[in-house]
Amino acid sequence: MSMMHAAQVGAAPSTAHLMRWVIVATLPGIAAMTFYFGLGVISNVLLAGLFALGAEALIVTLRQRPVRPALWDSSALLTGVLLGASLPPASPWWLIAVGVLAAVVVAKQLYGGLGHNPFNPAMVGYALLLVSFPTYMTLWSPPQPLTADTLFNQTLWAKIIGSLPPATLDALSGATPLDAFKHKGEAVLASEFWASQPLPEGTLSAWRNVALAWLIGGLVLIAKRIISWHIPVAMLGSMMLLAALFYASDPSHFASPLFHLLTGATLFGAFFIATDPVSAATSQRGKLIYGAGIGALVMIIRTFGGYPDAVAFAVLLMNLCVPLLDIYTVPRPSGHANTATHPAPKEPL
Amino acid sequence: MPAFEFPGGIYPPERKARSNQSQLQVAPLPALVTLPLKQHAGNAATPCVAVGDSVKVGSLIAQRDGMISASLHASVSGTVTQISNTAITIEADGLDSWHTMPSLDWRIAAPATLLERLDSSGLTGLGGAGFPTYIKAQVAEHHAIDTLVVNAAECEPYITADDLTLRSYPADVLEGAQLIARLCGAQTIIIGIEDNKPEAISALEHALPQAQHPAAIVLKVIETRYPSGSERQLIKKVLNRDVPSGGLPADVGTLCHNPGTLLAALHAVRDGEPLVERIVTLTGEAVSTPGNYWIRLGTSVASLLNGVGLMSGQLHQVIVGGPMMGNPLATLDTPVTKTTNCLIAATLAELPPAPVESPCIRCGACESVCPAQLLPQQLHWYARAENDSTLETLNLFDCIECGACSFVCPSFIPLVEDYRLAKQRIRMKQIETAKSDHAKHRFEFRQARLAREDAEKQARRQARLAQTQKPSTSTADDHSTPEVDLRSLRIAQAAAKAAVKKAEKVLARAAEKDPKQRFDDLETQLATAQENLKAAEARLANARDNAIHKDTP
Repeated sequence: MSMMHAAQVGAAPSTAHLMRWVIVATLPGIAAMTFYFGLGVISNVLLAGLFALGAEALIVTLRQRPVRPALWDSSALLTGVLLGASLPPASPWWLIAVGVLAAVVVAKQLYGGLGHNPFNPAMVGYALLLVSFPTYMTLWSPPQPLTADTLFNQTLWAKIIGSLPPATLDALSGATPLDAFKHKGEAVLASEFWASQPLPEGTLSAWRNVALAWLIGGLVLIAKRIISWHIPVAMLGSMMLLAALFYASDPSHFASPLFHLLTGATLFGAFFIATDPVSAATSQRGKLIYGAGIGALVMIIRTFGGYPDAVAFAVLLMNLCVPLLDIYTVPRPSGHANTATHPAPKEPL
Repeated sequence: MPAFEFPGGIYPPERKARSNQSQLQVAPLPALVTLPLKQHAGNAATPCVAVGDSVKVGSLIAQRDGMISASLHASVSGTVTQISNTAITIEADGLDSWHTMPSLDWRIAAPATLLERLDSSGLTGLGGAGFPTYIKAQVAEHHAIDTLVVNAAECEPYITADDLTLRSYPADVLEGAQLIARLCGAQTIIIGIEDNKPEAISALEHALPQAQHPAAIVLKVIETRYPSGSERQLIKKVLNRDVPSGGLPADVGTLCHNPGTLLAALHAVRDGEPLVERIVTLTGEAVSTPGNYWIRLGTSVASLLNGVGLMSGQLHQVIVGGPMMGNPLATLDTPVTKTTNCLIAATLAELPPAPVESPCIRCGACESVCPAQLLPQQLHWYARAENDSTLETLNLFDCIECGACSFVCPSFIPLVEDYRLAKQRIRMKQIETAKSDHAKHRFEFRQARLAREDAEKQARRQARLAQTQKPSTSTADDHSTPEVDLRSLRIAQAAAKAAVKKAEKVLARAAEKDPKQRFDDLETQLATAQENLKAAEARLANARDNAIHKDTP
């Protein structure tokens, strides 16, 4: 029975502290996205955060649990921020609301609230939106300067009116680099594809810089010991390994490892999504397998599946494996012989 | 020699400077001492004085009861004023006259004499568990011990009793170590000490050259990391040996003692002084002159803390032991015992109550600090769900209750408390099962005995009958199939014989594993098997007789 409580001696942060640090660490990524894709991004994040707090308060009240501690732990806010940051800038308000409700109410609270959800709430929301509203979820406009007021107006229009002015749809629907590469067609070689300048100027560098901004936030989290290195390293490692294998086997059809690393949600997912402790494996060996599994699934879905990016699905699929990972990666306790196989619990969770 | 790593561990604030800045002092003699009969692991001692008896310091006042127990001696001279079920109270006469035993030279005295002295001095481990020292010293009888580890790590925050012991009596502690090493047959002595005690380390370094005989002494300064003072972790760190799960350090050829115990052992042997006083750290923000003191056993905590300037207004709680593994005192009217190494009079700001618990977010912080490499978070889950079988599979009983997991938990879950409760629940269940098993086995024994008596009675009657009716030959109507009967009886007899053999083997193996234990239940099972065998033999003999009589008309 420790009478030295972590909170008082300042040795370890509280749960709320952890959550808030993750929120703080999203700022560089959100700032970079706002810079390249307009105010729609930040308004997504703010709206999603607001909705998440509202949804949490509502459902916790319905569940007859104390509301204040649930809001105070900032976990709902974090879910909202992460979901908001994953949405295209022109997302209408109701899209955000539906996603947040699925994340906070269904994926988290209906499973028992903080600590009990088997699936990553933000990714449940995202996956639901992606399969339900594919048109809206692919509205990634080409990067434009912040001053472009058309974009600003359209974003606000979407947020307030809830639909998009029909004439602007074309202007908004640009392809992400992953999208473009996926749909380049079998006959087109990668070199020809890139030579044809398939994307508006600056698109690739914009996505790269956003990815690097997420990386900065992620490294801050590791440096502050808010997250452990195991999952990001394992996920990025397995992704890079697979990407390198594919690329080495046929560089004319597969994208380079660097392309996979710096586009899409790879770095955001590795540091901010896959590391959600509640839905991840717990033992260090389990975390390595979990992260590597996500990385492999992302590469497989990106390369052979129907979706250009796959972080959400990969994370959800690996969430499914967590109970099994937890059972089979129990570390060998001190004082147990190396040779004695460590029995896993006979009955599953 | 390099130091090896044990996994996990934490770096809590040390707060040792509060009590290690002043010299070791002697607390004033108490006017009254209350000596609990159970200050050690095992059975409580049995009083052997009466109310009104006058005693001297060191007079035996309670005799150890059974193997795992320790004798108790008066810690002041005076009059016994009260004997309750749990404690003996002595009013001091202020003369402090001693009753000591003759001095022994540990280098030449017979081991049996030395063991007897440790026993009659009521010596127990002064570190925490209070295990009787004479039993620990006897371990050499059935284990080969090569190394004595002196546990001077003192990793808990606040406590500096071992630190001050080593600074004040380095040579005596080393001599005590040599004495114990000789008793257990260790050729090497390793002192494990954390690097936050530079003065104790230099004192030891000065004393070491003169103390290298007969066993070689090695000083190992290790990194300050909680819980390096836990036996298993220290042995791992200084020797790279893994004490097996459920085993003892003796299983890997080591014995672990803390410096205070070694000093007390030397005092018992060389000076003939039983264990009547010890060094205690009195510290915390709520006392004005913290420090380390020689304190007579049985002195009340209230009088001690008042003696070091207790500020009652600021006192929030008093903790016995360290802040990680110690326990808060319910009342200050509690005596110092053989295992009291530290009293912390803490203010509210110093050691405030735990914040409200929030749900576990499976962050894994607990797992990364667990020195036993368990999964504290999963244990927590299963402990709350009372899933005891899974708890045992996850090695709940390997938990050393160090509190590192609770310390880092961002959700402020009192993990160790959960584990203690679960352990207690499982132990109770085991005791219940053992009890019902034993009852069942006793019942089976009774059935077997009755059956055997019945069989023998039958055999006697048959024999009588055969004798009286010897001439008549046609009595075998009731034995229509004697061959089949004989054969099945022979099989039954062989099976019963095998069962006896098996029961003997199980008992022998159990006794070999744990020679000090009683095995009533196994003995009963053996007796049952023996009864069954006798019954089978009687029946067989009976049937044979019949068959013979039938065959020889």
